[in-house]
Amino acid sequence: MKRILIPAAALAMTAAASVQAGKSDDVLNVAFTKELENVDSYFNSSREGVVLQRAVWDGLIYRDPETNEYKGNLATSWEWIDDVTLELKLREGVTFHNGEPFDADDVVYTVNFVADESNGVKTQRNVNWMKSAEKIDQYTVRIHLKAPFPAAIEFLSGPVSMYPNEYYAEAGPSGMGLKPVGTGPYKVTSVEPGRHFVLEKYEGYHDSPKGQPSIGTIDIRTIPDVNTQMAELFSGSLDLIWQVPADLAEKLDQMGKFTVANESTMRIGYLTLDAAGRTGEDSPFTDVRVRQAVAHAIDREALVSALLKGKSQVISTACFPSQFGCDQDVTSYDYDVEKAKALLAEAGYPDGFKTEFYAYRDREYAEAIASFLNAVGIETDFKMLQYSALRELRMKSGSPVSFQTWGSYSINDTSAITSQFFKLGSLDDARDAEVAGWLDAADSATDPAVRRENYSKALKKIADEAYWVPMFSYNTNYVFTPEVTYTPTPDEVLRFTDMDWK
Amino acid sequence: MTQTADPLLQEITGPTPGQLLRKRIFGHQGLLIGSIVLGLLVIVALFAPLIAPHDPYAQSLLARMEPPVFLGGSWEHPLGTDHLGRDYLSRLIYGARVSLLIGLVAALISGLIGTAMGVAAGYFGGRVDAVVTFLINVRLAMPVVLVALAVVAIFGGSLTVVITVLGLLLWDRFAVVMRASTLQVQGREYVAAARAIGCSNTRIVMSEIMPNIVNNLIVVITLEMAHAVLLEAALSFLGLGVQPPTPSWGLMVSEGKQMMLFEPWLVLIPGFVLFALVLSINLLGDGLRDVTAPENRN
Repeated sequence: MKRILIPAAALAMTAAASVQAGKSDDVLNVAFTKELENVDSYFNSSREGVVLQRAVWDGLIYRDPETNEYKGNLATSWEWIDDVTLELKLREGVTFHNGEPFDADDVVYTVNFVADESNGVKTQRNVNWMKSAEKIDQYTVRIHLKAPFPAAIEFLSGPVSMYPNEYYAEAGPSGMGLKPVGTGPYKVTSVEPGRHFVLEKYEGYHDSPKGQPSIGTIDIRTIPDVNTQMAELFSGSLDLIWQVPADLAEKLDQMGKFTVANESTMRIGYLTLDAAGRTGEDSPFTDVRVRQAVAHAIDREALVSALLKGKSQVISTACFPSQFGCDQDVTSYDYDVEKAKALLAEAGYPDGFKTEFYAYRDREYAEAIASFLNAVGIETDFKMLQYSALRELRMKSGSPVSFQTWGSYSINDTSAITSQFFKLGSLDDARDAEVAGWLDAADSATDPAVRRENYSKALKKIADEAYWVPMFSYNTNYVFTPEVTYTPTPDEVLRFTDMDWK
Repeated sequence: MTQTADPLLQEITGPTPGQLLRKRIFGHQGLLIGSIVLGLLVIVALFAPLIAPHDPYAQSLLARMEPPVFLGGSWEHPLGTDHLGRDYLSRLIYGARVSLLIGLVAALISGLIGTAMGVAAGYFGGRVDAVVTFLINVRLAMPVVLVALAVVAIFGGSLTVVITVLGLLLWDRFAVVMRASTLQVQGREYVAAARAIGCSNTRIVMSEIMPNIVNNLIVVITLEMAHAVLLEAALSFLGLGVQPPTPSWGLMVSEGKQMMLFEPWLVLIPGFVLFALVLSINLLGDGLRDVTAPENRN
C-alpha cells in the first residue's frame, strides 16, 4: 500500500523529516494506533476521533476533568426554560479557524444538522436526544429536546461540538474530514486520511476553560504496531505514545528513560450472559444460579493486579463508579471456585457444560477469563470476532457468553452505559422489563434524587440476577519523553492544551 | 548376507539390495538427523501427558512471563511461563501434538485426493487427464493462505476446520507428481502384460502401478506435511487457526509477539521448535528421495 502511494509517502517523509526534532522546533510527535476513518467528529466513533474533536472543536459547555464542574465554553450561561427547553447565552467575539465569526446561526445549523437522523451521524446516541435549535437573537439560542434528558449538559460538554454553518453547508462531512474547521485550541493544517494529521496552535483561541495551547505543532501519525511505536520512541522520532499495553509500559518505566503516566478510563470490561435465553430456551444461562456461578468463578482481583495493572479497579456494578447514579452498594461476588461448582451442581450441571465464548478485543484478557470458566467446569468454545461482526451477531440472535467492554463515550452519567444495554434494545441480553422501567424513569426524571433512586434499583437487580458480570475498569498508559510535561485525565482524552515542554 | 573371504565371489555376487539400502540410509546424514529429530518430536507428542511437567491449561496470573532457566528462571518452569502464567514447556509439548496431528492428517487427506486424481489422469489419459489438469491449474491459481484465511474466517477457527481446509487445499503437488509418475510407468511392459492377460483397471493400478510410484508419494507426503505444519502456524499466528486455550506453536509466537522487544524468548522458543520440526520433516523427505531414487541405484 505504501509503495503505491509513492508521491504521498515521499511528501510525508520529507514532512516527517523536517519535524523530527521535538522540543527544539516546537513539534510534538504523537502516534495513533488505529486508523481514524473521518476527522469529522460526528462521523467516526473512535477514541482517536474524540482526541481530535477536543483539540479542533469546542462544545457549548465544558466539564473540568478534575473537579467535574460544568463551565461555559462557547456558551457563557445556560438555563432550563422547562424540561425540554434549554436556553444558552453564547460567547461573543469567537471566530472559527477560517475567520467565520461564531454566533447563534452556527449553533442552530449544527444542532439541526446532527439531530436530523437522515444526515447519518454515526454516533446517534450522542445527538438523538435533541429535536432542534432555535435562534432567539445573535447570541442566544434555545435547544429543544425530544423528551426530558437530564444528561443533556454532560453531552453538550462532550461529544456535541459546534461547526461553522457556512463552511459546513458547503463542505459537508467529507470536506470537513479533509479540511476541518472549528473554534478549538488547535487548527488542522494537513490531513492525510487515516495516516497523518498536523495540528497547529490557533493564535486567536478564545478565553476557554480548556486553557491556551502552548506547544506549537502536534504531528500525529498512524503506526499500528506497538513495537514500531516503541522503536520510534527510542530513536526520538516520537515524543508521546499512549494506549501502551500494561506489560510494555512496566518495562518502559523500568528503563527509566521515559515518563510513564497511568490514568484510569471510564471503560469497563464485563461478561454479558444470555439470561433471556435468546440463543435457545435451554441455554444454561437462563438459570440465575449458573450466572452467579460464572460471577464466582472469575478472580477479578487477579485480573486487575496481574493483567490490567495501573489504575484499573475491580468493578461490581454495570457502570463506572464516577458516573452519576452508579450506586456502588450492590451485590458483589467474591472469587470462590467451590461455591461456583456448588451453584452449577445445584442448577443441574454437576459436570459443567460446554458453551461458546465470544470476545472482540484484548485477547489476552479474554483467554484468562475463559480459563477461569474452564476451571469450574464450563468448557469454552473460544471465538474471537471483529467488533462489528460480534455486534451484529449479538443484535440478531444474542450470544451465550460474551466479553464486552464499554467506554460510555466518556460521559459521566449512568444513562450512557446501563440505559444503553438494559432497555430491551437489540443488545439487551437480560430483557428485564422491570429494570427497563426503572431506567426509563431515571433517564427522564430531572430531579437528581429520583434519578439516583431508580438507577440504584436497576443496578441492584442487575447485580442480584447477575445479568452481567462486571469485572474491571480499564486504564491507559501514556509514555512520553522527559522533555514533555503532561498529566493525563481519567477520561482517556489526550488534551494537547495541557501539554508543554519542560 | 554372503560374508565370504573370496574377493572374486564378492565381486561377482556383490552386496544384496538390502545391504545397499542400509548403506545408503546410514550414509545419508540428512536422513539420519531428520528422522532422529522427528522421532523425538513424535515420541514427545505421543507421551505428552507423561512428559509435561505441568497442566498446559493451568493458568496462574501471579506467575506471568517468568523467564526460562537459562535466563535466570527456576527449574519449576524450565522454559518459563507465558503471558497467563502457564508453563511454557508443557504448552510446547502439547503443541507438538497439534502441529503433528494437523501435518499428518492434512497430508493424508490431500494425499488421498491428489493421488486419486493424479493416477486417474496418468492412467486413463484423454478427457480424464484434461479435466484433472484443468482442476490442478485452477487449484494452483488460488493462493493457499488466502483461501485458507477466507474459509477459516467464515467458518471460525478450530482444529477440525483447519485440518479440513488444509487437507482440501494441499493436494496439487500430489496430483502433479502422481500424474507424471503414472505416465512414466503405465507404458511399461509389465503393465501391457497385465492388460494382455485381462486384468481389471483396479488391479493394474493397485498391484502394477502403485507399488512402482509409491516412493515418490512418500516424498511428497513429507513435503506437504511440513507445508501443512507451517500453514497451521501461520493461521494460528493470525488468530484464525486453533483456538485458545489449545496450545499451538503458531499461537504461542503470536501471543509473545507483543513483548518481543523485552522478552524475545517468548517468540524464539516456539519459533525454534517449529523450525526444528519443519527442518526435520524436510530432511527426512529429501533423504527418502535420495535413498530410493532410481539414479542412485548404480
